[in-house]
Amino acid sequence: MIVAQQKPLEEIRRLIAPYEKILILGCGTCVTVCGAGGEREVSFLHGALRVAQVKGGDGVHAFLEYTVKRQCDREFLDPLGDRVSEVDAILSLGCGVGVQVVAERFPDVPALPGVNTSFMGATEQGGVWDERCAACGDCRLAETAGICPITRCTKGILNGPCAGTKNGKCEANKDIDCAWVLIYKRLESLGQLDKIRRYYPPRNFRTIPRPRRLAGITSIDLGGSNG
Amino acid sequence: MYSVSMYETKDYPTDRGEKISFDRSLIPPCQAACPLHMEIREYVDLIAQGKVMEALRVIRNDNPFPSICAHVCTHPCENACRRSQVDKPIAIRALKRFAVEFGGDRMVQGEAETMRSERVAIVGSGPAGLACAYYLRKLGYPVTIFEAHSELGGMLRVGIPQYRLPREVLDTEVQRLIQMGVEIRRNTRVVSLDLLFGMGYKVIFLTLGAHQGLRMGVEGEESPGVVDGATFLREVNLGLKPSLGEKAAVVGGGNVAIDAARTALRLGTKRVVILYRRSRAEMPADPTEVEQALEEGVEVQFLVTPTKIKRANGHLSVTCMRMELGDPDAGGRRRPVPIKDSEFDEEFDTLVTAIGQAPQIPEDFHLRMGRGSTVQVDPATLTTNRAGVFAGGDAVTGPATVVEALAAGRQAALRIDDYLQHRYPLANKEVREGLAGDLLPKTLDMVKKTSRLEPQVLPPEARGKNFEPVELVYNWEAAINEARRCLRCGMGAEILFQDKCATCLTCLRVCPYNVPYLDEGGVIQIPADQCQACGICVTQCPAGAIVLRKPYDRRHVASELDHALRSAAESKFKPFIIGFCCQYGLFGTGALASLWRRAKAGIWIVPVLCVAKVEAEHILRAFEMGAEGVFIAGCGEQCAREKTAFWVSQQVEKVRKVLVQLGLASERVQMFNLYAGDEDPAHALDEFTEKIGGLYLASVIKQEVKS
Amino acid sequence: MANSLFEEKLYSDKFLVTSEVGPPKGMDVADMVHHIDLLKDKVDAINITDHQSSVMRFPSLGGCLLVKERGGEPIFQVTCRDRNRLAIQADLLLACSRGIQNVLCLTGDSIDVGDHKEAKPVFDLDSVQLLRTIKTMESGKDLGGSDFKGSPKFCVGASVHPEADFIEPQLIKFEKKVAAGAQFFQTQGIFGLESLRRFMQYASQFEVKILAGIIVLSSARMAQYMNDNVPGIIVPQPIIDELSSAGKGKGLQKGMEIAARLVRTIKEENLCHGVHIMAVGNEGIVPDILEMAQIVGAAP
Repeated sequence: MIVAQQKPLEEIRRLIAPYEKILILGCGTCVTVCGAGGEREVSFLHGALRVAQVKGGDGVHAFLEYTVKRQCDREFLDPLGDRVSEVDAILSLGCGVGVQVVAERFPDVPALPGVNTSFMGATEQGGVWDERCAACGDCRLAETAGICPITRCTKGILNGPCAGTKNGKCEANKDIDCAWVLIYKRLESLGQLDKIRRYYPPRNFRTIPRPRRLAGITSIDLGGSNG
Repeated sequence: MYSVSMYETKDYPTDRGEKISFDRSLIPPCQAACPLHMEIREYVDLIAQGKVMEALRVIRNDNPFPSICAHVCTHPCENACRRSQVDKPIAIRALKRFAVEFGGDRMVQGEAETMRSERVAIVGSGPAGLACAYYLRKLGYPVTIFEAHSELGGMLRVGIPQYRLPREVLDTEVQRLIQMGVEIRRNTRVVSLDLLFGMGYKVIFLTLGAHQGLRMGVEGEESPGVVDGATFLREVNLGLKPSLGEKAAVVGGGNVAIDAARTALRLGTKRVVILYRRSRAEMPADPTEVEQALEEGVEVQFLVTPTKIKRANGHLSVTCMRMELGDPDAGGRRRPVPIKDSEFDEEFDTLVTAIGQAPQIPEDFHLRMGRGSTVQVDPATLTTNRAGVFAGGDAVTGPATVVEALAAGRQAALRIDDYLQHRYPLANKEVREGLAGDLLPKTLDMVKKTSRLEPQVLPPEARGKNFEPVELVYNWEAAINEARRCLRCGMGAEILFQDKCATCLTCLRVCPYNVPYLDEGGVIQIPADQCQACGICVTQCPAGAIVLRKPYDRRHVASELDHALRSAAESKFKPFIIGFCCQYGLFGTGALASLWRRAKAGIWIVPVLCVAKVEAEHILRAFEMGAEGVFIAGCGEQCAREKTAFWVSQQVEKVRKVLVQLGLASERVQMFNLYAGDEDPAHALDEFTEKIGGLYLASVIKQEVKS
Repeated sequence: MANSLFEEKLYSDKFLVTSEVGPPKGMDVADMVHHIDLLKDKVDAINITDHQSSVMRFPSLGGCLLVKERGGEPIFQVTCRDRNRLAIQADLLLACSRGIQNVLCLTGDSIDVGDHKEAKPVFDLDSVQLLRTIKTMESGKDLGGSDFKGSPKFCVGASVHPEADFIEPQLIKFEKKVAAGAQFFQTQGIFGLESLRRFMQYASQFEVKILAGIIVLSSARMAQYMNDNVPGIIVPQPIIDELSSAGKGKGLQKGMEIAARLVRTIKEENLCHGVHIMAVGNEGIVPDILEMAQIVGAAP
């Protein structure tokens, strides 16, 4: 899941300052799960911005609230047409993908990001998410006992730990486990230490020329104009 | 697509445009078990909030004579109460007693208007007859009650001893019926139904009761000194003072046996011995009554049955046989089996038989009879084999409870109405679903245990010789604390908007009772029969997909808040402060009362049913509408739930972050515990208001300097 | 024919002594030059650190050029933190063209421990891959597979951490470095001879030279700071106690004694092939330590 974090209120106030009518647009998928931009956060941010108007001396804005199931598919945005024509800007609480799809779908209205898209992660415990995947495009979890060294090692190195590991923790952050210690231990318990002994050549960054596009086997011809 | 704002509280538009009803709560087990289907959960909840008059109103909706039930009901609701899985059931009957006493049931005026011409005769004035008269009057029919005795009430009058049901209570109800225009014929024994029809009555409701004591069938039962319990109690209750001598035996194990024994003691009998052929566990009498009888000095010989009675020298020589328990019978109770050669003799002055009663229906009524001399009726309509003749109560069921008789009376009234209006008699269908099933261990373990508060009783030495009521009524604090024990079954959380649910598992993670689970299809389920309705998942759900089945959640808080904000807007007092206060228990224990006394003008209280249901959005709304400070007063360690304070503090922190970013002091949101023990909530509120006052003054000065 | 003077000494039986000099922040290289002059004849080679602890400084390659200018023997420390494979290969070509042929291949400290925490961490290569890169370059090709016109030659080293608290994966990496062509290893700072003995027992099976890293501590506080903040370093408690037993202002003296004692023992007991002395910020005292350890100046 994509993990994001709502931007500080101050930044959001700066972003919306030039506009009068603003649609606060939530997304009902990833950012709902990580508590950054679902219906509740839309309503909370709305409340906070209204308090800011009263107590913070902000300019007078009118707000609309709306939450769609997913901002990253245009079809979910279609029913927004009427609302969007009423507003001067859309404050999207979707991830970076959502903001861009909103911008493409409604080219005449500025789309503003309300969250910082952080990473792809898993829930560690309620309210805590950990990064797990860097979307490198060249998954090698089979060699590393299901623990990603590219994401979870601060240096993303492939041939074993650096010398900075101490107490099984990373030199960059004492609260974070050294990925290579985890990999070693798991490989050891799986009886697959040969995998860490193997030499891994430099990564092929050619797998991620940006921006990437992925066309599935059953992809529908993108040139077609059916909506 | 969804666009439900938190301030839309009345109903929920769904994607498909249909509306979902507001109260979606399930019928709790107590209500399902009550023959009258009283809304017990609702009135117990109102008592927990100190709203005793509202509680009484709810009680009176379904019960014509709540004061009577408050004294004598056998409370099947308590047997069904799911709290007994945790510790002990809610003391529902005692709470009802509290509600009728403190809610002023005595003051309720009987009001009825005659809107129909068809006259109805009710034969017998026991609880079934009285209830039927009450409801028929409410429906606008002229009603006449025929009572053979000099006083109304049937078994309530002649069966139940005064120490259990004070006569004033019954008299008040009778007076109320007279007020409602019920015509009453005392000392009138009906001998012919045809005669009644001849007098112009269109319908007769027969509710003759079951007053005939059953015979034991042992030798010497006819001897002088042997009396049946019903007769004995009737004589006492009608003002006679029959003597039972120095030492009396009572045979039987039901409520009549216990009543007879305790009455005998009060009449001056020195020793009263109950002979019961099974053991204490099988006694059908109410365990509390048995306990009280033992306290008063009644002796009980278990597993003993009389086999022969001989009268000699003014005494009775009773031959008894000892029993042992064999296999269970059809009813599940173990059958007593005589032990060979265990006979023994014991001397008594008198012997009271209380092994059961049967109705006594005159043959001239020409009614089809069923088992045990009862009148046979269609259970759905209470009609007999004769047109226009209905029957109900003990005469139909054999000896049963007051509340069952009341239910029969109400049913009869409704079915008589159907009959007279030529409607097809449809039983009242409950639209809402009932709640069934036990709490699962994983949930049960998480429910905070609180001991049941029994109402006080007169000490045994103070009650043995008189007919004063034994049980005392709760005081406010006891009643409220007992009411707060209610688990509020069936009011719990529901994922109302499955299409919004992102299956984020927040509800599963925050639930203090381990209720939500992920089913095999990957859908979150919040089983209604397990949810404790604390509302935490409602406040935490990031998709706003969950609501409580009974809207005691964000919608309730939002509407109360709007009300307070409107009042505050109209008020001239500045600065104004909004206080979200837990409504449970406050009035009874005085903490809020003391808060109120100390509260200064400009403080507006938003009553909430547990502060865990207050959301950050509510607090922000208060600030938006001009509040200078907001406090949340929960009941701290008294809260029936765990971790409430933790969840409130999460909301407070969320708001504080916003305030700080707006350059406002984070102290503007504060959380108090009303029952922290060492902390005086009024003092904390004083400090808070002073602080807010200071902040307000500073901002006013700053404004003036600017301008 | 050896690629460098240091490589020649590496394969003699000489007890090797190397030390290191950290480049300055800024253009003023006077101190660095002074330290190079002090050391160049006392040690077999001088390492020039590469933005040590991820703190931005004058470049390692620039330092190496200075060593060369002053007539010393430099070891070019190359980390993977700041340059991608193109930049690293280019720098190596430049180094070789200037006669800088000793290279110490390192992963590099995390950006997070340094003074440019918002910089992009590169780590296009890791230390093992860097070693192999050099071997590839020596074979006359770059990493893209194209042929060089004129191939470089190097003497390559790497680091190893014999006192790591979880040693097994470190040893695997050591072996990978050996397989990748590392000729010598300068260890991370060690404090206990036991761990060195154990490590050497294991490492002696490989045809590589091991130089024990010796850190000169200047106070108990510094030792504690290193434990808390410097990647990989673990100063044992007895050493910290010994340092704090020294009077005020005598911490450095005590640190020098400790270092000298380690060096002397290592040499006397012939525990490994040499030592690498790191006098972080106090480069000037290295000759004194060598004297205290009764080690004569670098052999010609």
